[in-house]
Amino acid sequence: MRLRIRYTKLGRVRFISARDLGSVWERAIRRAEVPIAYSQGFTPHPKVSFPDALPVGHASTGEYAELTLTSEIDPGLVLARLSATLPTGMDITTYLVVADGSPRLAKYLQATLWETAWPAATADEAADLAHELRRRGDALMAADAVQVVRHRPKGDKVLDVRPPLVAVATSCQHADTGTPPNTTFATFRAVLRNDGPTIRPTDLVVALDSLGDMPLPEPRLYTRVAQGRIVDDGILEAFTQQVEPLDAGRQVEAA
Amino acid sequence: MCAATLTIPSHFDADLAAIRRPHDPQVPPSYWDVLEPVLPKVSQPAQYVGGEHNMSVTPWASARTRWLLCYPDTYAIGQPNQGIQILYELLNERATSLAERAYAPWFDLEEEMRARGIPTFSLEHHYPLWAFDVFGVTLPHELGHTNLLNLLDLGGVPIRSDERNLDHPIVLAGGHAAFNPEPLAPFLDAVVMGDGEEAVLEIDDVLATAKTDRVEGRLTSRVELLERLSGVTGVYVPSFYEPRYAPDGRLRATVATHPGTLPRVPKRTVQDLEDFPYPQKQIVPMTETVHERFSVEIFRGCTRGCRFCQAGMITRPVRERRPETIQKLVTEGVKDTGFEEVGLLSLSSADHADIGDIARNLADTYEGTTTSLSLPSTRVDAFNVTLSNELARNGRRTGLTFAPEAGSERMRAVINKMVSEEDMLRTAEIAFANGWRNVKMYFMVGLPTERDEDVEAIAQLGIKVYEIAQKHGRGNKATVSVGGFVPKPHTPFQWAAQDTPEEIQRKLDLVLEIIKPYKGLRLRTNDPQEGVIEGLLARGDRRVAPVVERAWRLGATFDGWHESDTLPYWHRAIADSGLSLEELSHHERDEHEAFPWDHLDAGLDKQWLWDDWVDSIAEKPLDDCRWIPCYDCGVCPGLDIAHDTGYTNPETRGPTLPIINSGPAAGPLGGSPDLPTSAARLDGDA
Repeated sequence: MRLRIRYTKLGRVRFISARDLGSVWERAIRRAEVPIAYSQGFTPHPKVSFPDALPVGHASTGEYAELTLTSEIDPGLVLARLSATLPTGMDITTYLVVADGSPRLAKYLQATLWETAWPAATADEAADLAHELRRRGDALMAADAVQVVRHRPKGDKVLDVRPPLVAVATSCQHADTGTPPNTTFATFRAVLRNDGPTIRPTDLVVALDSLGDMPLPEPRLYTRVAQGRIVDDGILEAFTQQVEPLDAGRQVEAA
Repeated sequence: MCAATLTIPSHFDADLAAIRRPHDPQVPPSYWDVLEPVLPKVSQPAQYVGGEHNMSVTPWASARTRWLLCYPDTYAIGQPNQGIQILYELLNERATSLAERAYAPWFDLEEEMRARGIPTFSLEHHYPLWAFDVFGVTLPHELGHTNLLNLLDLGGVPIRSDERNLDHPIVLAGGHAAFNPEPLAPFLDAVVMGDGEEAVLEIDDVLATAKTDRVEGRLTSRVELLERLSGVTGVYVPSFYEPRYAPDGRLRATVATHPGTLPRVPKRTVQDLEDFPYPQKQIVPMTETVHERFSVEIFRGCTRGCRFCQAGMITRPVRERRPETIQKLVTEGVKDTGFEEVGLLSLSSADHADIGDIARNLADTYEGTTTSLSLPSTRVDAFNVTLSNELARNGRRTGLTFAPEAGSERMRAVINKMVSEEDMLRTAEIAFANGWRNVKMYFMVGLPTERDEDVEAIAQLGIKVYEIAQKHGRGNKATVSVGGFVPKPHTPFQWAAQDTPEEIQRKLDLVLEIIKPYKGLRLRTNDPQEGVIEGLLARGDRRVAPVVERAWRLGATFDGWHESDTLPYWHRAIADSGLSLEELSHHERDEHEAFPWDHLDAGLDKQWLWDDWVDSIAEKPLDDCRWIPCYDCGVCPGLDIAHDTGYTNPETRGPTLPIINSGPAAGPLGGSPDLPTSAARLDGDA
């Protein structure tokens, strides 16, 4: 039996690296007594796969994993147990039982909706920043190519952020909880295609920074909101077939 | 800028007395909000966030006493430490106490913390060190001393004990290196000697009362609090003692100067490990650490009598955990944590009287599963290979590690490591014949009476094992690991001179020269310079304390790390102090020379240690007192304790196996090559 899972990575667990993620899951799976299958060979590994790595420190409500089991189980029951024993901040939100011959998980994850958030001291300040971000976002979409430099230990790399970029939107959001609590955020959302060269939201911020006179403040949080198929107003989430809207403000109003 | 500015609270503007109150306290600030934005910039940020499975979170106000337990190194090194986990669980089980954990921040985070005013913090709530009642630090070795000062300084606590008042945490040390805490004497308020389980709970009681008394005006000074703490057996308060020096500058004695203080502080010993089946709820790390496994201490103490081994001397006598308790701890712990590996810990794990049964039962339990079993710290004998085969039923037979410690028979008689070359070669033969592919051997150079031929014998033994490896398969390997010996307090070798790093290097080169032609035989060595700081701090007295402080002020932290070259700071600090390494480390001590730890009683009779030192020079071995009559090392009668093992107390331990003597006279340690899975070593001469 194969299961595909959508889960979150919020709060403290954001700092678990992609390298350590496997053992965090393996131990949770053992605690929850999920009948996971193991690979053959000298060092058997549990058959848990993650389609792509989330940069350390980034939050997500759109993480995915695929589990191969040795027996048929009641997924609702077992996954509830697994979700409960995963570290706080990692919660399983949706699952699908995979039919035989189903295409690879990555095939369903064609694009990603990213959100970058800047906390502001006041609602006015957030509105001003959102205005500035909107202006720069429009400039970004209007450009044919926007090159950024990504600094890496091995040396700098020059990337064009424009090819995978599908759409952007800016808004202001108020959060009663979270860190710091009771703060208004200016947020910038972008839909990026997953095929081709990987452009990260940090690259987009560098691009936005280059599209104005004043340097942008440092963002507080990057969040991978969801992954799925590109639709007009956002992402059609791969498992739920619900639209995650590009315009974060709209979602807030709806909620 | 539109980033919200965060006001950073500090101890300067906090109401410390209110935060400390046993009832209705003010809750200290959490530094999480200030720390979080920094974390993406530092290496391995998951080590600073807490949130692991089995973390214990108690609200500040629901506890009366609040402890911050610390291993003064990185999370990766410190998190698996059993001592901290035992005390963490014991304290958190109490309805009236709370314990959180702290580790040393790596250089990148420390820089950010200092720049932003973030103090040493706990992982559970990210509360500041300065808010806790006790800063309980384990000193498993000497190379965390500068980190301890750094953590105090970062944590808003004066580094010197005499600068602290009732509003500061009690700085309490424990662990093996605390058996000579003198180089840290001015910085520590109190030290727990020996096993911490009972002592820590008694200290917690004293503290709870003291806190109430303070609120009600019955306790007004820190000295009074220290007096009460020194009333707990096993607690040493350094400021209540003073060293006396002879005119030539030599230490004459360390004497109790505070009224009502004992002249010697005895160590604490838990007689029955069954009283403390901990840690059970072991922390499951979310980032890489040095030992990611469910560990069970199968016995404490060791009386093999290796003369270099401080752990074996200060943890006497041997106290075994019952096999059924071990089985229960492991099975429940593996289920609870999800760990893939089980470690059966002790100073010489194959010595548990029931190890054969323990290993077989666990191997049966986990046969065909992905749970693996490991037995670190094993002896050089065939029984060990049998045991390892048993434990490796599920997995690969990759590497086995043995510790002959010295290369020549003569040298092994000096150090009382009763392993013959025949043992080692036969063990290697059996290991490779059983499909093991790599045998690793630990050795030391710089041992007392050592001659070049003894050093060369390390290489020769390594080559012989390598040749056996090759006979069984071209891909098989052997590894020789050689470290420089550092004499430790409370051992027969406490009188020995430590080799200079130059001399250690010369000896390592001798080994390297001989094994160089053998391509599959690997040599692993450490930088001999590393032993310099360790040696200085291991046997130093209070005159070394200013050196520790100076080295730290010059920039020394993480002394055990290659990434941190602190030796120049130490050399400068030593030079500034007017002390000499020659005097402190590299000369042999006299019979009647006072040691800085003479007033700290590990139970060992100093005359016995001296006699054993003399026997050592005479190359006279001494057998294990589990198998021969008591030879009066002093521990059991002196501290009113006894061995608690299947060998020594069969009447209280139920049926057990017959005992055979080990040692040269009785043939090589550990039975025959064709041992079955039981503790055949005990089945008589097979």
